[in-house]
This record gives sequence, structure tokens and C-alpha cells, in this order.
Amino acid sequence: MNKPKTSFKKAVVFYLAGQVIGLIFGVLIQVMVTNTFEPKYFWDLASWLLGVLLSLLGFFYGLVGYYGIVKGLIYQVIGTLFFASLTTAIRWMAGMEPFDMNTFIFTESAWVTGALGGSIAFLAGVGALSDWFKWAKGEKTEDHRHDLKGYIKYFGVSLDHKVIGIQYTVTSLLLLSTGGLFALIFRIELSAPGLQIMDTQIYNSLMGLHGIIMIVSILLGISGVINYLVPMLIGAQDMAFPRLNAFSFWVAVPAAVLLLSSLALGGFDTGWTGYPPLSTRAPLGMSMFFVGIWVAGWSSILGALNLIVTVLRLRAKNMTAFKLPIFVWAAISTSIITLTATQMIGLSFQLVVFERILGMPFFDPAKGGNPILFQHLFWFYSHPVVYVFILPGLGIISELLPVFVRKPLFGYKWVAMSSLGIALVGFLVWAHHMFASGMNEYLRVPFMYSTLLVAVPTGVKFFSWVATLYQGKIPREIPTPMLFVMGGIVVFLLGGLTGPPNATVSTDLHLTDTYFIVGHFHDTMFGGYIFPFFASLYYWFPKATGKKLNERLGKWHFWLMTPSFLILTLFMMRVGLLGMRRRIADYDPLLQFDFWQLSMTISAYLIATAVIIFIINVIITVRGPQNATGNVWRSRSPEWQVPSPMPAHNYDHQFQVVGEPYDYGLEGSKYVEFMVDDEVKNG
Amino acid sequence: MAEHHENVNGKLNQGLIIFILLAFLTFIEYMIAITNQSLLLLSVVAVIKASMVLYYYMHIYKLGEMNDELPHSSLEWKTSTNRFGFWLFILSDAFLFAGLLTARFNLLGYTRPDLEQFLGLIVTSVLLVSSFFMNRAETQMKAGNVKDFLVSASITTLLGIGFLAGVVGVEWQHAPFKVDDSAMSAVFFMMTGMHAFHVLTGVIFLLIVINNARKGVYTADNYWPVEAATVYWHFVDVVWIFFYPAIYLIGRLV
Repeated sequence: MNKPKTSFKKAVVFYLAGQVIGLIFGVLIQVMVTNTFEPKYFWDLASWLLGVLLSLLGFFYGLVGYYGIVKGLIYQVIGTLFFASLTTAIRWMAGMEPFDMNTFIFTESAWVTGALGGSIAFLAGVGALSDWFKWAKGEKTEDHRHDLKGYIKYFGVSLDHKVIGIQYTVTSLLLLSTGGLFALIFRIELSAPGLQIMDTQIYNSLMGLHGIIMIVSILLGISGVINYLVPMLIGAQDMAFPRLNAFSFWVAVPAAVLLLSSLALGGFDTGWTGYPPLSTRAPLGMSMFFVGIWVAGWSSILGALNLIVTVLRLRAKNMTAFKLPIFVWAAISTSIITLTATQMIGLSFQLVVFERILGMPFFDPAKGGNPILFQHLFWFYSHPVVYVFILPGLGIISELLPVFVRKPLFGYKWVAMSSLGIALVGFLVWAHHMFASGMNEYLRVPFMYSTLLVAVPTGVKFFSWVATLYQGKIPREIPTPMLFVMGGIVVFLLGGLTGPPNATVSTDLHLTDTYFIVGHFHDTMFGGYIFPFFASLYYWFPKATGKKLNERLGKWHFWLMTPSFLILTLFMMRVGLLGMRRRIADYDPLLQFDFWQLSMTISAYLIATAVIIFIINVIITVRGPQNATGNVWRSRSPEWQVPSPMPAHNYDHQFQVVGEPYDYGLEGSKYVEFMVDDEVKNG
Repeated sequence: MAEHHENVNGKLNQGLIIFILLAFLTFIEYMIAITNQSLLLLSVVAVIKASMVLYYYMHIYKLGEMNDELPHSSLEWKTSTNRFGFWLFILSDAFLFAGLLTARFNLLGYTRPDLEQFLGLIVTSVLLVSSFFMNRAETQMKAGNVKDFLVSASITTLLGIGFLAGVVGVEWQHAPFKVDDSAMSAVFFMMTGMHAFHVLTGVIFLLIVINNARKGVYTADNYWPVEAATVYWHFVDVVWIFFYPAIYLIGRLV
């Protein structure tokens, strides 16, 4: 393949051109369709988003040429238009109304089929399906594909789990920034009573998208860390099904595009939960939201499937269940949830879409439907999924703590079992989200007790961390990953302690739908995911690149983010206890929340600044020299026993497990030993 | 060689016996439904039928045959890994259908739609017979008999298309309600529609496998895609084993 003439400069030029062309096109379409032009918020939102799409396309085109993601996005646009037109033609032939001006020219059913068809077209365009098409035709393919040289390999289909892990992580960080940006926008609105910069519809859409984009971002971030680490930790060359792995990543990209498109297609006003009956009446954006999550769900399901098979089939010699790295236990536990429960949110969203486009009254009480059914199906996934968010993070805490305090992990078996325990108990607690929903009252108390039961295995983890820290050799100058680990423990403790008041029926009836809940889950998400995620990025960055992130900037990042974050959530809980409702754009000035809300907005901006410092740190470090190719953290884990960065198929020699994984501080003890005469045959 | 041949015949006979038992149990199911309507008995029969298909047709016990000592490049290791992954997919898909059953019992409770019982029994039988031929096809492929495999698999495919025609072409047109009439109509069309979608994907899967078998891609030792198509087809049958009573038999008419 000829290397296309591409450069960063070209990318920026194309980016700006795309933005301008998109804006002009958006305005032209609007004028053509509605015969008016009313720029509501500085510019029109739909045109602006079209500009974003085109500019991203232009940016990638400038960077990598007509390859990979660029091809995929172009295919997606064409595929969407094709399938939408096809449905329109069928409607026209069947004598139905072919167009609908209220839902952006095409009818809603055409948009939904277009969205699904466009996602498949993306996958075909990017090349994630090509080997499977060959298999279906009875042709053979190569077991391993060779990646392109340089950064271009990250923009197209690669079967290397490390490349896919980095693709996942970077996509996750992009979505994290997008979701965070939405929060920053609507935090301005909340900083004072009254409506300042937006109407309630936009507020609701931004707030709902903040929630769901963060959730997708977390799911992708977790997949990224798991994908990158697990095969290395267990001594495998790759995941069990590399093509499925690539598919799982790439299917999330059109899903993210669909989610963002919901903002341009009328938005939605239900928040991220999408409860009917409101969601059956919301604008077209609601359907894009549902289809986007439905498509993203396949990423989770297939990724989990792949991981379970990988861990059960590809472990190194002698790596028995209780010699697995603790992070792998956490990954397995989360995968059990995502493999099975994800189907339920897919089903619940699917039912609403069918009610919207075909009028099937699943959730319409007037015709015998039941909106509570949606909540049961929805929370059967959406509660366990919060354990999907936190378990890998808690696994990272347990994984890193012994490295830094040079002591064995306290109660290894208990910690391993507690991950599994949280995952399994997590299946039995969903209805605690519905205490105030009008479900059968006899369900309340059993779900209260099952929810409180989750505190037991979670407590086991805390005792293990505290006991591991006890008499440990805490370094005088704490390295950044350990700072984030410690921050994670503290913040997650806060999130954990504010959980039982929401699980107990009597107190929950007061706290339901207040900012107390918002504060609680931001604490759990930050403590259970964001802090450990950053810890893992700082910790394994040298493994991926051979370069260590700047410690000084890392400390700035931590010490700016943590206090701001604590202010944010503690103030949230305070105003919540005093009666501040969640999901609303405005509040009564007589409640006197001005100061608290303004402080929260400022804190949110400080957190954003901290994340920008992190991104600057990454950019500076990547451009710098390779200075950390060895065992930077003096870890016992197998991936640190070989030089960084790892070659394409991981280990040149297979290793076998000869000891316990976390015996730090014990003289002469080893976890793994490389088998010199047993060379791995690549390809 | 003679022994091998006998073994194949034994397997084919076993498939036939299981088929007869399943047909008998379906008949019993129907009789229970028109006589005393016991939910417990109907559930027990459905579970027995499903277990028989899982064991004798889907060979779920093969999951236990994973050997970690084999080299990872060997065909046996690859097949058993593929099989494990495929069963995890089946498990995930089963949750979708469990969700649909939950929705059915949540919304309709102990009532059922007024459908043509005779038609229901016919499409159920068609699917059951297709399962029998699918089992035959796999057994013949295992014996390396590609010609017989092609015949049996083609019959299976035709029966699958027949099932689709019966549900979508006849049952949907004869249903006493339209899609948007009530929660009952919604549940009926959603359950049968989702199942029919899976039958359709199964038919496509079978057509791909038949085409490749015709080209001679598979041999007696190397036929994992055939096994996957078989397991998928029987899984769709297992779903119908639960859906048939849930849609046609359980509950009283309203």
C-alpha cells in the first residue's frame, strides 16, 4: 500500500474546512426545508453538529487518507441515506405517508432502519467484516495480519489486542471529554436560578447525553484497560477471537455517532434512563439514542464473551484460579454481567422503539401495557452495570496497592471472591431504583436487604486495602499512580457510605430524585472508575510507549482534581438533602442554592482544567524520548519482566507461574519464570 | 469401517428416538392444555423437552471436553475454544428471550390470545421435524458423508422457510388483532417476530454452510461451522419449546 501524503497540518486545515462547510450546508438544508432561518443559540445546533461530523471526517482524512475510520464514516453516511430511502420507498409503495417534515424529512421508521443499516455499513467500510465475508464464501484467511507501520494502524482495523486496547482507551477519553463538555455547558445554566443560556429542551438533551455518553465512555475505557492488560497478564499472545475483538471496538464508533446525532435530530428529554411513557412521546432524537445504545450494547456483549473465553482458555502454565492476577478476577466478574444482562437493556430499548414506530403498546396502560415493566427490564441491566463500572477499577486498586507498599495483598482469595460476589449479588438488587415508582410494595423490603448485602463484599475489599497499607512501606514521595489509587479509595468510601441511605426504603423515599443521589453516584463513579482509570493510565503508560508520564504534571492533575471533585459532590449532597431535585434546568431562588450551585460550577471547571493538564502531559510525553523501558515500578507482574513497549505478539518466551502473585517483600520469591527453551512460534 | 458405519446408524437411530419422544411430549403438552391447563405440568414438560434437545441434539456435554494440555495450534483446541465462545453467545441470546417471556407474563399474566390452535401445532411440528433433519445432517457430516448431509440440511432449510411462511405469512394474517391494538397483540407480534428473525438468520447460516459443504470445504474431522449452525438451529428450536406454550397454551382466553 502506498503511504498517502498526510500530515497533521493538512488534518487541521481539513478540520476547519469541514466545520465551515458543515455549518453552511446545515443552514442551507434548514432554509430549504423550513423556508426560515432562526439562529437560536449563536448558531443552529443541527448545523453545528453537521459541521462537527464533517470536520472530524476532514481531520481524519488529513491524518490518514481514505483509510479505516474515514472510509467507515463515509460508508455510514451513505448507508444511512440508502436504508432510510429504501424504507421511504417501501412506505410509499405500501400507500403510507413517505415523508414527515416533523422528523427531519424522513419518517421515524426510515431514520431507525437508516441508523441500523448505517452502522452495519460503517463496519463493512472500516473493514471489520472482511475476514468473516471470506469465511462465509469458504475462503481461508491468514491467522495473523500484519499491522501498518506508524500511527496509521490506530485508525483502521487491527487484530492486535494492544492496538485495540489503545483504540478503546483513546475513544473513551474523547467521549469522556465530550460528555464532560456537555456537563460544563449545563453547569453554567445551573450556576444561578432562572434560565440563562438555553431552553429546557436543550438542557434536558445535554443532561441526558452527559449521562449516557459518560456511561459509554466508561464501558469503552474498561474494555480498553481489559483488552490491553488481560492477555499480557495471563501470558497469552492475543485475545481468543481477535476479529471479534476488533468488531467489538469498531461497532462502538457508529454507536457514538448515533448518540451524538440525537442532539441534532431534535434531542430527547428523558434523561439517560429513557423511561416511557415520556420516551414514547419524545422527539426523534430519542430513537437515535435508543438505537445508539442498542448498537453499543453489542460491543459490551461480544467483548465480554471474548474475555471469558480468553481467560479460561489461554492462561499460562500453572496459572490456576487463585494464582490469577486480581485484576483478571475483576474482569471476569464484570464480563459475566455484561455478557448476560446487556440483553435486557437492549430489549427494553427495542420495545420502546417498536412502540414509537409501530404503535405496539407495551408501555401504554390505556391499552393494557405497563410502564413499570420497562423499569424492571432496564434496571436489570442498568444496576448491575454500575458494578461493571467499578469492579475493574477496584481490581486496579488491589493490583497496584501491593506494588507501591511492597507488601502482599491482604486476603487475596477474599478479594477475588468479593469481586465475583458483588457481580452475582448485583443481579438481585435492581428494584431498589424503583422504591418510589409504584411497583408492588411487597418487593421493597427484599430488595432493600439484597442491596444492603452488597456492602459486605465491598467491605471485604476495603478491609483488604487498609490491611495491605498497614505497616506497608509507603514511599516518601508518593508516585502519581499511587496518589490516584489512594484518592480512589477515599472517594469510593464516600460513595459507598452514602449508598445505604438510598438503599433503605424509609430514607430513600426522601432522597429519591434529589441531588443527593447525583452526589452519591458521582462519588462511586469517580472513586470506582475515574481515579483507578487515571491510576492505570499513569501506571501502564510506560508499558505501552516506553515513556513515563511527567510526575510533576501528574501531581498537579491529582491535587487540582481531588479537592474540586470533593467540593462538587459534597455540595451536591447538601443541596439534595435540602430538596434540590435532579434533572431540572431551574430552581427556586428562595431555596438559596445560588452560592452552592455556583461553587459546584467552578469546581466542575477546575476538574476540566485538571483533565486538560493530563492531556497536555500525554502529548508532551509522547513527543519526548523513550526513557522508561524497564521495570519502572519494580512490579512482579509478568508484563514488566520484559522491556517496554511490548512486541506485536507479546512474549518471545512463554512463562509459567511458580509462586504467588503478590508476595512483595519476600526475599527470592518469584511469581513467574520464563521458559527459555520453549520459544513461542509467532504466526 | 463396518463398526464406524454401525456407529453412524446408532446415532441416527438415537436422533429418531429423541424426535419421537419430543413429538409425543408435544402432544402431551397439547392435551394438558386443552384438559386441565396446569401451568406446573406444562412447565415441566417444556423443561424436559428443552433438556432433551440440549443434551441429545445440541450436545451440551461437549463443553466439558475442553483439554488445556493440547497445543493451541491444534484443530481440536481451536474447535473446543470456538464451541465455548459460541455457547456463551447462546447464553447471552437466551437472556433476550427470557426477557421477552418476562414481558409476556408481566403484561398478560394468566391470559392468552385467541389464536388458531391447529396452526400453532402445525408450525411447531414443522420446526420439530426440521430439528430432526438438522440432527441427521450433523451426524452424516461427522461420518464424512457430504452428499447425505446436503440432502438433510436442505430439507432442514426448506422446513425453516416453511416455518417462516407459516408464522409470518399465515399466522400473522389470521391473528385476531392488529399490531397496535393492545399489549396482547404487541407481545404476540414481538415474540413471534423476534423468534422468526432468529429462524431467518438460522436459514441464512444454513445456506452459507450448505454452499461451503457443496464446495467441499468441510471434512469428517473439520466441520466446526456445521456444528455451529446445528447448535444455533436447535437453540432456536429450544426457544420455541418455551414460546409455544407461552403464546398458545398457557392461560385463559380473554
